Amino acid sequence: MPTQRGLAFVLLIVLLLLVGFVYSNNLAYLLGFLLASIFFVAILHSFKSLAGLTVRAGRQPAVFAGQAGAFNFQIGNPGRHSRYAVHLALQSELAIGLAPAETRTATLYQTTARRGWLQPQTLTVSSLYPLGLFRAWAPLRFDNPLLVYPKPAKRQLPFPESGDGQVAQGLSRRQGDEFYGLRPYQRGDAIRQIHWKTFAKGQGVFSKQYAGAGSSELWLDYQQAPGHNSEERLSQLCRWIVDAEKAGLRYGLVLPNLRVPPDTGAAHYRQCLQALALF
Amino acid sequence: MNGQPSPRLLWFMSGSIGLITLPHAWHMPPLLIGFFGLMWLWRLLAISRPAWLPNRLGLFALTLAGIGLAYSQHRGVFGRDAGTGLFVVALGLKLLEIHGKRDVYVIVYLAFLVAATQFLYEESILMALYILLVCTVLLATLVTQNSVSPQTVPALKTAATLIVQALPITAVLFVLFPRLEAPRWSWLDADNQAKSGLSDTLEPGSIAELSLSAELVFRVKFDGDLPPPGQRYWRGPVYTLFDGSAWKAAPALFRAANPDQPVFDGKAYDYTLMMEPQKQNWVFALELPSAFPAGLRRNELYQLTTNKNPGDRAEYRISSVPSYNTGGINPAERRESLQLPGKPSERIRSLIAQLRGAEASPEALIANLLQHFHRENFRYTLNPEPMPERQVETFLFERRAGFCSHYATAFVYLLRAAEIPARVVGGYQGGRFNTVGGFLEIRQADAHAWAEVWLDGKGWVRFDPTAAIAPERIEQGVNVDLQIASGAANFSPIQFDAKTLTWLQRSQQLWQNVDYQWQRWVINYDTDNQKALLQNLGIDDFVKLGYWLLLSVGGFSGLLAWRLLRPNRRRRDPVLQAYRQFCGKLRKAGVDFGPGDGPQTLAQRAKAVRPDLADTIERIVAVFIRLRYEPSAEAGDLRVLKTLIGSLRV
Repeated sequence: MPTQRGLAFVLLIVLLLLVGFVYSNNLAYLLGFLLASIFFVAILHSFKSLAGLTVRAGRQPAVFAGQAGAFNFQIGNPGRHSRYAVHLALQSELAIGLAPAETRTATLYQTTARRGWLQPQTLTVSSLYPLGLFRAWAPLRFDNPLLVYPKPAKRQLPFPESGDGQVAQGLSRRQGDEFYGLRPYQRGDAIRQIHWKTFAKGQGVFSKQYAGAGSSELWLDYQQAPGHNSEERLSQLCRWIVDAEKAGLRYGLVLPNLRVPPDTGAAHYRQCLQALALF
Repeated sequence: MNGQPSPRLLWFMSGSIGLITLPHAWHMPPLLIGFFGLMWLWRLLAISRPAWLPNRLGLFALTLAGIGLAYSQHRGVFGRDAGTGLFVVALGLKLLEIHGKRDVYVIVYLAFLVAATQFLYEESILMALYILLVCTVLLATLVTQNSVSPQTVPALKTAATLIVQALPITAVLFVLFPRLEAPRWSWLDADNQAKSGLSDTLEPGSIAELSLSAELVFRVKFDGDLPPPGQRYWRGPVYTLFDGSAWKAAPALFRAANPDQPVFDGKAYDYTLMMEPQKQNWVFALELPSAFPAGLRRNELYQLTTNKNPGDRAEYRISSVPSYNTGGINPAERRESLQLPGKPSERIRSLIAQLRGAEASPEALIANLLQHFHRENFRYTLNPEPMPERQVETFLFERRAGFCSHYATAFVYLLRAAEIPARVVGGYQGGRFNTVGGFLEIRQADAHAWAEVWLDGKGWVRFDPTAAIAPERIEQGVNVDLQIASGAANFSPIQFDAKTLTWLQRSQQLWQNVDYQWQRWVINYDTDNQKALLQNLGIDDFVKLGYWLLLSVGGFSGLLAWRLLRPNRRRRDPVLQAYRQFCGKLRKAGVDFGPGDGPQTLAQRAKAVRPDLADTIERIVAVFIRLRYEPSAEAGDLRVLKTLIGSLRV
């Protein structure tokens, strides 16, 4: 596909041929023909600048709605020639060069507005190399969705009342609690709960248990979440989950169609957020 | 990606722009080239110090100054010199204003135009190669522009590759693209630079000046044998009017035609004559041209003239016959050929009487006159003492030393005084043979003047009085190099024997041959040449031409595409390929195995699933292991492996 500069190049060729014609000058003709041939050859080279490239979709971390979604692509150059200019465009753009047999990961961004699965838009791989007269491009579609969690609500509302009548008050409440005992470390326990002293003594890994946290479990219920519509409720639930995880509380999630028993830790956190995202 | 271009790009660009403009320095007004040089230096310095670049206002002022300068030097914007000046000034100004990609492209495109204008001044093969080199750098500038992390050497390499790959298509386009004869526009005509050469007045001194010039006048390639040196007279203007010190060529226009056409007899020479740019529209054909192309005209003085621009190099196919009879003479011509400035003196008349002797025939008089030159200590010299007054008498009776035009003048003067129609003919004599290219080179140093006498029954007959004094001048030509070295005439035999040529002479001839072919096939390729060539190829109309163009351009592009775009084939191991086929067959047979399983594991599982095939499978695996892992494997094993796998029916 000739670019604007390519079209200007054609104009230049016409001008040169005109000089050759008006002055009956064969060398001016020759220069014109040379540029015209280079124009032809440049088409092939433009094509070659992309031909053979391999693009694979990589794994991408989930994000909250409103954050820029980062898509990873593995661009590989299996050939024996360097690629001097490969231009990648999703919503953001990136230009990279690839040495022979080099594979690079390119991260491109796309804005996220809604929760749920987000498919990357068409990835356009293009190149102006070598002369900028032609743009070779290839639209690539990938089935490689990115999980978008709901946008956490701005307002920091207090946690809802738990089933046993206690109100978990987050950070302040937990810090006020008394140390209650140790129990063997379980997957999902927060790192800050680890009792490092026993670990240092070589007695094994134990988690500290607090009186308040141990006895009371935080239930985050869709029905109890404030909001005018489901999105607002989900947004609020998302906020609570983020806060609760930060605070190291044990929390459970109740959605109309799903019930995640209380727990804590990264996997649990992800599970809850995913449930919200896909609700 | 816009914004200030990288220093590397700027170096590339400034370098190529400097190179492209450099040759213009020889013919552009110093003020203009100085202006450009200033801008260029400014740009160069500003590469490391961008703050030094002029601001918008400064640029505007500079632009005004540049335009004013260009206008003042050429009084206009049209024509070769003015246009070139304008382009160069624009290029210089644009160099100072580079903000983004777009400006880089504008500059590079402008530079290509400036490169083309260079060809309007010089068309030598060296200049073409030079421009090709600069074009490589210009293209590399664009490559640099379009690379993410530009590198110098790969950029140049890519540019060179592009050019090399483009050359075949360029050649095809050059040959096949229809050439149209452009109308000549007077305002576009190049101001003809002073060119030396014969003129329509012949002063005895003028040829002496030419004798020191090695400038090429024309080249001749004969189809068959060369005419012997004594017959190599290249006819130019005919001088009939003598005013006592100089000869004037009679205007060929409005002359009454001769009653007879020349009658040719004997061997004809066919040749291709390539005229270098000239002042006059004369074509120096071998005496006497009998057949010539339509654009040429043989005037009543048997001189060929062309209707093309003499400032252009041109090529003609001509036939000449050295043996001819021009027939009768008409009264006007006879009168003209007897014209003398005043009455001849007593001394002259007594000399004529003495030479005429008992016989009265013109032939006898001429023979005696030539004898007289030969006997009476006449000398040939290229720098005779000046003879300001009564030239003919001073020469004949006192100095007795001169060169061709002196002898021809005295000869014709004496014959006219004896009432025999005679005239002086200018042109070139001889030429140096290029053994490499097989053509004659005729230079200004070969300029010559001889005489022509009308004899009853024979017509105009050539006599060369110089031959009576210095026959070697006619037989061997003038050695220009030696003359220039010594400042005087000096004759040395020119060797035609290729073996005795020194390597220097040989390489010189080789180079001249390359130049000749370049001129013939590239510079001089025009409508006529193209038509002839295309007819040889069987292309006689535009439709066919279009097919040829498409076919050849498409063919070359296809070839190139195949070369460029074929996938990077990895060398495949035939053993592994066969093994893969084997695995495929086993999979079809329902054998379950992973990619990490070795051949023996594979065989175990396969035998369990298909006990009926156990034998073959075992043999296949054994051969495969031998081929792959044991040094004792033989070439025949591969064939066995392939046959076994082929015979495996699942």
